[in-house]
Amino acid sequence: MELTRRSFLKLAGVTAAAASLTSVGYRKAAADPGERLRIRYTQEFHTICTFCGVGCGIICNVRDGVIVNAEGDPDHPVNEGTLCSKGSSISNVSYTFDEKGKPRPNPKRLTDVLYRAPGSDSYEVKDWDWALDKIARRIKESRDRTHEATAMVDGEEVTVNRTKAIGWLGSAFCTGEENYLFHKMARAIGIVSMDHCARL
Amino acid sequence: MKTQICLIDASKCIGCRGCQSACKQWNQLPAVETEFTGTYENPPRYSCSTWTKVVFREYRENGRLQWLMSKQGCMHCTDAACKLACPTGAIYHTDEGTVTIDEIRCIGCNYCAAACPFNVIGFDRFTNRAKKCTFCYDRLVNGMEPSCSAVCPTDSLVFGNEREIIAKAQNRVDHLRKNGNPEARIYGLDEVDGTAMLYVLADKPEKYGLPADPRVPFGTRVWNAIYGPLRFLVVIAVGFGLWANITKNRELDRAKEETQKGSE
Repeated sequence: MELTRRSFLKLAGVTAAAASLTSVGYRKAAADPGERLRIRYTQEFHTICTFCGVGCGIICNVRDGVIVNAEGDPDHPVNEGTLCSKGSSISNVSYTFDEKGKPRPNPKRLTDVLYRAPGSDSYEVKDWDWALDKIARRIKESRDRTHEATAMVDGEEVTVNRTKAIGWLGSAFCTGEENYLFHKMARAIGIVSMDHCARL
Repeated sequence: MKTQICLIDASKCIGCRGCQSACKQWNQLPAVETEFTGTYENPPRYSCSTWTKVVFREYRENGRLQWLMSKQGCMHCTDAACKLACPTGAIYHTDEGTVTIDEIRCIGCNYCAAACPFNVIGFDRFTNRAKKCTFCYDRLVNGMEPSCSAVCPTDSLVFGNEREIIAKAQNRVDHLRKNGNPEARIYGLDEVDGTAMLYVLADKPEKYGLPADPRVPFGTRVWNAIYGPLRFLVVIAVGFGLWANITKNRELDRAKEETQKGSE
């Protein structure tokens, strides 16, 4: 058969018509959503939910530095894979949706240490080493300044070795062992005003 | 057809709405501006970005306050009204027994939303498509459970094999009946030929905001009976037209050749 322009156009028309026919019948969808899982080829990171004192375990699926999904960690002893409404929306801490419904990095998320000097009205970006040094120096300074070796209890002099100037807050997002160490350190410094966000 | 279904034990639901935000999280649905309607139920309507929600209902009877809550959304009916109503066949049953809307073939006519006895189909005005719960089909075929049942902290939502789930539901109903809930029942086993979302209700379904007797609307059945075969007829008619066109063209070609030969 000779392929002329007319017969080629005819053939193309017939092919297009045949292709459109298949969409009229009871055929299944061409695009099967099951073939592509959203969290495929992502890196898994384990983290702890930041909202309340329960400290549920969460698996974050990260692709190119962006959290694409976050859901309960089935192997975590606290929540065994479950989450509440706040926990299951925790990926929004990392990104938000714009007007068109597309995710973009959350501009309000803190990624650096911010320091506001006494009397200053603005925050400065500092690095962690500087901040930890500063905290350690200040703890030492105020503890030395306010340290009480003895105190009068019921008219009797008792050894207390304490400071009342510092408060210490533990965290539910650390393990019990870590909190034990925090507790030990706070006792060693002489802090008596200790609490924990979950009071565990 | 259905092998794995979800049990929604409304008597265990604490209304934390973890399922609601987990659904949005997995399906990447944006938030909806909420409004206060007098209950904790928010947003008040299903939409293209709210596929499931926890429905709160309050009743004061005999001086006793009843606060009923249950996760509601697409039921994935076996006798699905939306599937019958769809004129393009965009709504179909998957191999897992769930009901899915094919976005490519959806024309946005909204007949499915009108026919649905549970009123759970939302309409996306930007893409002009109907949207509803997919039972997390992408997770299902990859061996994961739906995101709503994965997060439920009280095991109100349980995902499992159909037989085990039905047995579990019956045990739970027996337990509830023995312990002061004479109206406890299973919902979704016989309604619309069985749903993939099986409910254990501690009271009448109307009290939970569910239809007492969900049915495929009569009009949908009639129109499907009329148009169902027509869809097939369209295929035959177009096929016949093509065949006629080709044969006619061949005849014309032959006639042309003969006339050319004759002129030579």
